[in-house]
Amino acid sequence: MFLTRSEYDRGVNTFSPEGRLFQVEYAIEAIKLGSTAIGIQTSEGVVLAVEKRVTSPLMEPTTLEKIVEIDKHIGCAVSGLIADSRTMIDRARVEAQNHWFLYNERMKVESVALAVSNLAIQFGDADAETAMSRPFGVAMLFGGIDENGAQLYHMDPSGTFVRYSAKAIGSGSEGAQQSLEETYHKSITLKEALKSALTILKQVMEEKLNASNVELATITPENNFQMYSKEQLETLIANI
Amino acid sequence: MMSVQTMQPGARETAAGGPRQRYFYPYADNGGTVVAIAGDDFVVVASDTRLSSGYSIYTRDQKKTFQLSERTILGSTGCWCDVLTMTKVLRARMQMYRHEHNKAMSTGAVAQLLSTMLYHKRFFPYYVSNVLAGLDENGKGIVYHYDPVGHHDPGKCYTGGSGGALIQPLLDNQINYKNQENVTPEPLTVKKTVSIIKDVFTSACERDIYTGDAVAIQVITKDGITEELFPLRRD
Amino acid sequence: MRFTTSTMDLMPLQASQPFDPSKYRYTGPNVQPRQLPNTRSQAPITTGTSVIGLQFDGGVMIAADKLGSYGSLARYQNIGRLMRVNDHVILGCTGDYADFQFLRDIIDQKMIDEECLDDGIVTRAPALHCWLTRVLYNRRSRFDPLWTTFVVGGLDDDGKPFLGFVDKLGTAYTAPQIVSGMGGHLATPLLREKMDGQPPLSEAAARELLIRCMTVCYYRDCRAFSKFQIATLKAGSIKIEDDLEVKGDWEVAHFSKEHA
Repeated sequence: MFLTRSEYDRGVNTFSPEGRLFQVEYAIEAIKLGSTAIGIQTSEGVVLAVEKRVTSPLMEPTTLEKIVEIDKHIGCAVSGLIADSRTMIDRARVEAQNHWFLYNERMKVESVALAVSNLAIQFGDADAETAMSRPFGVAMLFGGIDENGAQLYHMDPSGTFVRYSAKAIGSGSEGAQQSLEETYHKSITLKEALKSALTILKQVMEEKLNASNVELATITPENNFQMYSKEQLETLIANI
Repeated sequence: MMSVQTMQPGARETAAGGPRQRYFYPYADNGGTVVAIAGDDFVVVASDTRLSSGYSIYTRDQKKTFQLSERTILGSTGCWCDVLTMTKVLRARMQMYRHEHNKAMSTGAVAQLLSTMLYHKRFFPYYVSNVLAGLDENGKGIVYHYDPVGHHDPGKCYTGGSGGALIQPLLDNQINYKNQENVTPEPLTVKKTVSIIKDVFTSACERDIYTGDAVAIQVITKDGITEELFPLRRD
Repeated sequence: MRFTTSTMDLMPLQASQPFDPSKYRYTGPNVQPRQLPNTRSQAPITTGTSVIGLQFDGGVMIAADKLGSYGSLARYQNIGRLMRVNDHVILGCTGDYADFQFLRDIIDQKMIDEECLDDGIVTRAPALHCWLTRVLYNRRSRFDPLWTTFVVGGLDDDGKPFLGFVDKLGTAYTAPQIVSGMGGHLATPLLREKMDGQPPLSEAAARELLIRCMTVCYYRDCRAFSKFQIATLKAGSIKIEDDLEVKGDWEVAHFSKEHA
């Protein structure tokens, strides 16, 4: 009857005898179906890059939005079930604005990740106090600038968040992460990071990389969160 | 005695000499004065130590300053029960911030939090006069003054409480050179600031019965906080 | 809830016609039960007057007379306003006696609960003082105050004497000598004269001073009484003397001398 796992993957908050929460693990698996997203932290700022799967020439690529602004100084790239990410992005934005309202200062990137992770684990069967009936099927990269400089945080559906120098998520993440580990160095510049993000995306993407099937953003102390326009992307792509 | 009774908030006369109805007034004025003056790399906060109710002195030994962090001190006077409650809540909120964000609150962050806390009680306010003093992120002295419902204003020197109206114009003149012509501003030193504070408190307690006994003077610099107690008249 | 209908609502109903429930409006959109203002705790009823507390070398002492006044009537002449909370705390109460009894029952139950836990943790005077402050402040914030003033005595965590004041608003402070009520005007000067800037009093001197204060209060406060209690707290001991009486000296009253 139960093919691989056991009855312990039914209840979302039921541990298996080996101490695993299968639904959370399945949610993490769901990320691997998502499009690839890359984040690189440099001393000058953070680069976020994602692929967009344009599955039909009749599709309007600009409506696929996988990099979003959380606050002026924080951006977020997502991979997995994009619809799930909307709830979490909403929470991140509310928390960031509330922090500004209460304390008149920019929220730390780590604090935003913490706030969203609190939402990520609020799943369950019970009606009360739950945000979702199942774990969120999305992984997120938070990039931003705060008093500790440029920061990149990765969060997965288990709510675990870890700081990274460079991180790839989504279907091409295995290869991309390996490439990042080879190319990343502590003194990498923003310009180099932009280039290597696009180069790695190009390697792992099934389609040919062009200005309309990638999204790119930087978060820097000077210009805060900045999305790259199609024209800017075209010049960048021409140089790789 | 009768007329004194009717003067107090909480007693209401329905007809001259007729039956009196008491109603409950949830506020008290317990007096006290605070002063804060900011310099380029320091800030001085002072409060008197008298706690009163009407013509009675509850104690001669009650500071109205509350150290909130290594670099921020709040001076708070007015309705003492509100002062106690408000500072307790504020300290709890700061501790929660510390746990949530893994850092101490900056003076500016405390300033904003205090304003929001006060406004959240807009329709049953803390009847309190606040002066918040501290060093900002760059180590520069800064002072914020508040009204009871959260309006606030950053500045160089502010006073609050029962002797505030007596002291503020003098400080405007001496610290901010208001109403002076052809004056060359001199940078403030800790020594001069402390001496001005002693003078303004000595003067205020000549005219204000709610100020007196002693003034507790605290100096915040990058090296820490020092404190001095200077006696005032006790009558 | 008050049930209200205006005569206007009854107009459509006439005795000669059959009863039509749809025309009989029990409540119209404008008919609402009138919200009366809260009239609880507008004034104290049965009251106790001053409580006098002071610190001495190694402990605290609190005194209060045994009168429960009903306005100007000396209604109850043998009631205690001092309370032994546990082995470490004593307190005295000025103001509404019913409110004192209400809080006394709650505190007693707290102490029983604490005893049942048997974890060796005990409420000390600073903790009870703080708790009372919160309770009284919360009640004043609900506009339903407990019309009382408390004087809390004990030792703090370092074993030093602790004496705290809390009133019906939640105003709180600590001091070496505390007097609540009318005695604040009468006894405070006597206490400060003997205590300010001087080394701590001995227990005997403290007791003598306290009796002097009770005597002055009895002479001048119309709501004071001759019978009083003194509670003395030292490390490891609480003593409540229940049968004290002011030995008034009325020799100065020439009127009574003439008619002796």
